[in-house]
Amino acid sequence: MSIAFAIILVTIVGILGAVILVLAAKYMHVEEDPRVAEITACLPGANCGGCGYAGCADYAKAVVESGAPVNKCAVGGAACAAQIAAVMGVEAGASVKTWAVVACQGEEGVCKSKFEYQGMSSCAAAAQLFGGPSACAFGCIGLGDCVKACQFGAIEVVNGKARVNADKCVGCGACKAACPKKIIWMHSEPKKPVVMCANHELGAKVIKECTAGCIACHLCEKNCPEEAIKVVGNVARIDYAKCTGCGTCIEKCPKKVIKMPADIH
Amino acid sequence: MAKSKLSIVTNGLIKENPVLRLVLGTCPTLAVSTAVSNALGMGAAATFVLICSNIVISALRKVIPDKVHLPCYITIIAGFVTLVQMIVQAYAPALNAALGVYLPLIVVNCIILGRAEMFACKNTVVDSALDGLGMGIGFTLALTAMATLREIIGNGSWLGITIVPESIDRLTIMTSAPGGFFCFGFLMAMVVLYETKTNNKIERKIGCAVKEGEDE
Amino acid sequence: MANLLYIFFTMVLVQNYVLVKFLGICPFLGVSKKLDSAVGMSLAVIFVMVLATAVTWPLYALVLEPNGLGYLQTIVFIIVIAVLVQFIEIVLHKYMVSLYNSLGVYLPLITTNCCVLGVTILNFTNGYNYVESLFCAAGSGAGFMLAMVLFSGVRKRVDAGNPPECFKGLPITLVAAAITSLSFMGFGGIMSSIFGIAA
Repeated sequence: MSIAFAIILVTIVGILGAVILVLAAKYMHVEEDPRVAEITACLPGANCGGCGYAGCADYAKAVVESGAPVNKCAVGGAACAAQIAAVMGVEAGASVKTWAVVACQGEEGVCKSKFEYQGMSSCAAAAQLFGGPSACAFGCIGLGDCVKACQFGAIEVVNGKARVNADKCVGCGACKAACPKKIIWMHSEPKKPVVMCANHELGAKVIKECTAGCIACHLCEKNCPEEAIKVVGNVARIDYAKCTGCGTCIEKCPKKVIKMPADIH
Repeated sequence: MAKSKLSIVTNGLIKENPVLRLVLGTCPTLAVSTAVSNALGMGAAATFVLICSNIVISALRKVIPDKVHLPCYITIIAGFVTLVQMIVQAYAPALNAALGVYLPLIVVNCIILGRAEMFACKNTVVDSALDGLGMGIGFTLALTAMATLREIIGNGSWLGITIVPESIDRLTIMTSAPGGFFCFGFLMAMVVLYETKTNNKIERKIGCAVKEGEDE
Repeated sequence: MANLLYIFFTMVLVQNYVLVKFLGICPFLGVSKKLDSAVGMSLAVIFVMVLATAVTWPLYALVLEPNGLGYLQTIVFIIVIAVLVQFIEIVLHKYMVSLYNSLGVYLPLITTNCCVLGVTILNFTNGYNYVESLFCAAGSGAGFMLAMVLFSGVRKRVDAGNPPECFKGLPITLVAAAITSLSFMGFGGIMSSIFGIAA
């Protein structure tokens, strides 16, 4: 008798559970536009956040519900943008490739060291100690926090400084967020130069620390035909709205701090 | 897949040992390995459930609809776990007291559910039974290895027989919680060392509870 | 009231589910790498633990036990938990979308998680009544959260370190967990002293 009761009880619990779930699935069903799933399938699924949304599914949702532009995925590129445009029935705009640049040339031998660091292998940790082991307190520490952050293997530490492989870089900005010195910048103009230094100190001090640092000699500023480059806080800064990529500043710079993206490394 | 029957069994022993290679079933490994007798008892119980549930799930694999496969598997496994609970309560009350809550928790042991999803639902009844046997023995071996370490260092005994002389102090921390973690980590490091020497190293991710795209 | 608080804090510190009882190790080691996923998972666990206790306690105490069907505990509990988790996921998706976005993904992982089934069974092993069981479940979940959050911080430091080659990855994480667990051993006896209740 009790065995029958047991079997009946478990059966009732099971059936009750099934009924609750079926009813819930039916009456609390959330209508999701099928295009969201289609677009999510087109996307690479890396969830890198480079599009500015919290993952591929989130971006797909934003495209369908809030009309986000279809060409934001740098990983998927133009092919992906075209697929998404096809799903949404719109034209795909041109994708702008952005990639990261580590604005520091102070490799071993070029930039001196303040001390030998033997602590935790983390730039964030080393930066707490007097600004880091490099003589230049603004430069790349080279312990690889950016390397750990990159999901695409596009950045590596060579000769003590981080280097970006522009071909592999998708422009997600993870390295930029990870760098404690804030020395990684996102660049999107292949024909316009980059100032490879962020040292704000006076030229005389910079020369003692690093042979590849900007000394604020103002030669670039004086020679720029568009007045696009100015020395601000003892370091050169380019206004990309005015810059035409003529390359005059690159020729005039005595320290070879300014480089075209193709010539970096 | 022309796999010999024996290779299915030996697969679970070393090559795909559920605890040390697949990193499944970590909870009972840490909790129950305080004494070798407990480890053997838990291993036997888990092996029994594993074999039986693998057989039943494999037999029903064409019948169970895909949408509800998970609750079905869990119910089948729960049935066998209840069976084991009753047997242990009746015939080995000391083991029941030692295992405590971990006996019913075999039902959520990742090894059993994991093997059901990975193997039993895709293979014949005989193969699944052999896989269950192999995995169960592998689990027992790993558990016993850890328990040996913990019991000898922490209690100076093995299977209740005093081995270390009374004059030497026992390191009782080994039989408590931190000792479990430490022992597991140490054992895994030794396995990794062996793997590296034999060029067999694999990337370990926690077997269950890691969602898609999530870092380990 | 003091009794309830004693139970709550005992579950958080002295009998911490992860570091002392070894329940929920898989998500502990798997999800604690990033802080936000650790917090999300813990909140989901607290939520499910309390609700599961709220449903399973009356079921056992009022239906199973009086009819001599105590042996059905495992089967009935796990079915109830599986159904409950699925139901919560559907409800959250419909009515509390922001909550669903932050912790919805972790809910399926909790079904086969030792700690939820563990707390529902341990409520009866410890002989708690309904209210005590709810406080016990809340405390267990809070303890899980404490362990996860603390450990995600520990892991960040450990990952930046340089252990021997064979320890890299999971083994050194386990050793770090051992030390964290060791620190929790220091809480033994605190709750009895504070609340004046014999352990």
